[in-house]
Amino acid sequence: MTSPISMAGTRTARYRYMTWVWRAVAIAFAALTIFPVYWMVQSAFEPNSDITSLTPNFFPVHFTFHNFVDAVNHTAGVGTAYFLDDARNSVIVVTSATAITLVFGFLAAAAVSRFRLRGASGFLVLILVVQMVPGTALIIPIFLMLDNLHLTDNYFGLILVYAASTLPFTVWALRGFVRGVPIELEEAAMVDGATRFGAFRRILLPLVLPGVISAGVFAFITSWNDFLAADVIMQQNNHQTLPVWLYSFTTNTGTDYGGLMAGCTIMALPVVIFFLLVQRRLVSGLTAGAVKG
Amino acid sequence: MVAPTVPDLAPARTGRPILGAPSYGRRNPRSSWRRALRRQLLPLLFLLPSVGLISFLTLYPLGRLIATSFQNLGAFQLVQHKVVWDGLANYRTIFASGGGLGTSILQTALFVLAGVSLTMAIGTGVALLLGRIGKVLRTVVTVCMLFAWAMPTSAAAIVWTWLFQQEYGVVNSMLTSLGLNFSNHNWFGSEIGAYSIIVANIVWGAVPFVSLMMYSALTLVPRDLYEAAAVDGASAAITFRKVTLPIVRPIFVLMTVLSIIWDANVFNQVWYLTQGNAQLLNVVPLGVWQYIEAFSSTQYGLGAAVAVIMILLLVAVTGYYIRLMVRTGQIKVEAKA
Repeated sequence: MTSPISMAGTRTARYRYMTWVWRAVAIAFAALTIFPVYWMVQSAFEPNSDITSLTPNFFPVHFTFHNFVDAVNHTAGVGTAYFLDDARNSVIVVTSATAITLVFGFLAAAAVSRFRLRGASGFLVLILVVQMVPGTALIIPIFLMLDNLHLTDNYFGLILVYAASTLPFTVWALRGFVRGVPIELEEAAMVDGATRFGAFRRILLPLVLPGVISAGVFAFITSWNDFLAADVIMQQNNHQTLPVWLYSFTTNTGTDYGGLMAGCTIMALPVVIFFLLVQRRLVSGLTAGAVKG
Repeated sequence: MVAPTVPDLAPARTGRPILGAPSYGRRNPRSSWRRALRRQLLPLLFLLPSVGLISFLTLYPLGRLIATSFQNLGAFQLVQHKVVWDGLANYRTIFASGGGLGTSILQTALFVLAGVSLTMAIGTGVALLLGRIGKVLRTVVTVCMLFAWAMPTSAAAIVWTWLFQQEYGVVNSMLTSLGLNFSNHNWFGSEIGAYSIIVANIVWGAVPFVSLMMYSALTLVPRDLYEAAAVDGASAAITFRKVTLPIVRPIFVLMTVLSIIWDANVFNQVWYLTQGNAQLLNVVPLGVWQYIEAFSSTQYGLGAAVAVIMILLLVAVTGYYIRLMVRTGQIKVEAKA
């Protein structure tokens, strides 16, 4: 029989020992998680001679920006560099789609959570069902339809596709944020003579703005990421977006990994920074919506 | 990449007065339909753009997809604007032996099974881990995960091709320096190698989201429940099963459903990691297969039929979980609007 004191002692020792195990596991996991991102940036700043050496450096010893110049001027074997065109297309298409989805999504979220509207439940069921339909499966009819309307190879078609594909989630997320704002604030404004629309614009919108920004970043990332729709709908090389540009880069020059990693860094960096800025709210917003309902 | 969430479906109904719907008294029986219409007009106008966009670019395409799957639609018919109804021909082609359906379903199932179980196991494990380490280390792990989460799938997949590159890839050189013979090992030379890397890439991209969500859910478990369990002498395993699990289960089910949907639709990772050689490597889950049929072989009808099968399978699998969520009250659908 061990005395209570020594028992407590072993328990603490065991607890301490486990704490160190957990710390070690956490550090190993963090290293594994960040490594691909680190390696991308590392390779992007290394000269090709270092990249194609059999013993890789873990830091860019001969730091260079040359790969970025290479990536931007890369001609994909067709004589013209498309990077700047495609980057511009990406920015235009993704920004417009995000703007559309936010405006539409905010209006819909206000409609279902601020009015006693017939069919609100129906609309929410529709949103839920639509969310379950995989976008990958719809690309064939969307292409056929846009082709009929002569909207292929056209910004407008792609913008609409991205807006539609991010809208269901935006409505869900914004609805959660709108419900978090007490309706009494708007009522007070209306008592003071604001119109209903004025109350939305001056009271509700500023209060849910953080939520709008989070939903916007989500929509932005989703569209920024897409390969399939851009590849199918936009046909000419200088009408494509960055994911498609990146793909042509891989298939045409399998060996220029420095340039390729620079291209990946250019594509990923704005998104990562954006994301880090708003992540806290995004995670808490998502959980709040999912748990509380 | 990130989550469509599935909270409850009930419109705000908190007993508070709602704009445009006075809560006092019964509705005036003499109020005309016009007044009712006017009351509904503004919210209807607000809903219209969303309903319009979704009808135009999701519902209509869904109908058209089903129609197309019964047509013989190739490049020729597309240019000629001809509609050639073909009955079940596309489905017959797919179901015929050697049509590839069996392989493709098997491969999709494999991605879902391996991807979802690994993602959920690691994600839950990391969430529990986050609760066991100090604040500083937790922040470090979270930031690392955020970087991985934010990486666009296309860029991430290409970075992985570089990590696992045959001659100069860092993974081969690291494994070799550990004394294993991996120099010049071609990871994409075999089906199984390509599979492992694609699954690893999917899991790497999905774990951050799942663990952060699961960790948020875990923080919702009230401390005193743990204390009460400890006072009652419950073991760690019992505490987890009886206290933690019931509270985090809704999020767990939700994450599982989302992971199933994502992994069943996997496209980017396969396409970029195989660098367009998906067919050559015989890695053709349904999402990739329908794309190849439709846009590489310009057999839109055949591709559409594959997509229809894909949707049906997905509905069958997720339907079970969605029913579960409705039953456990995570989704509340009110019968009356």
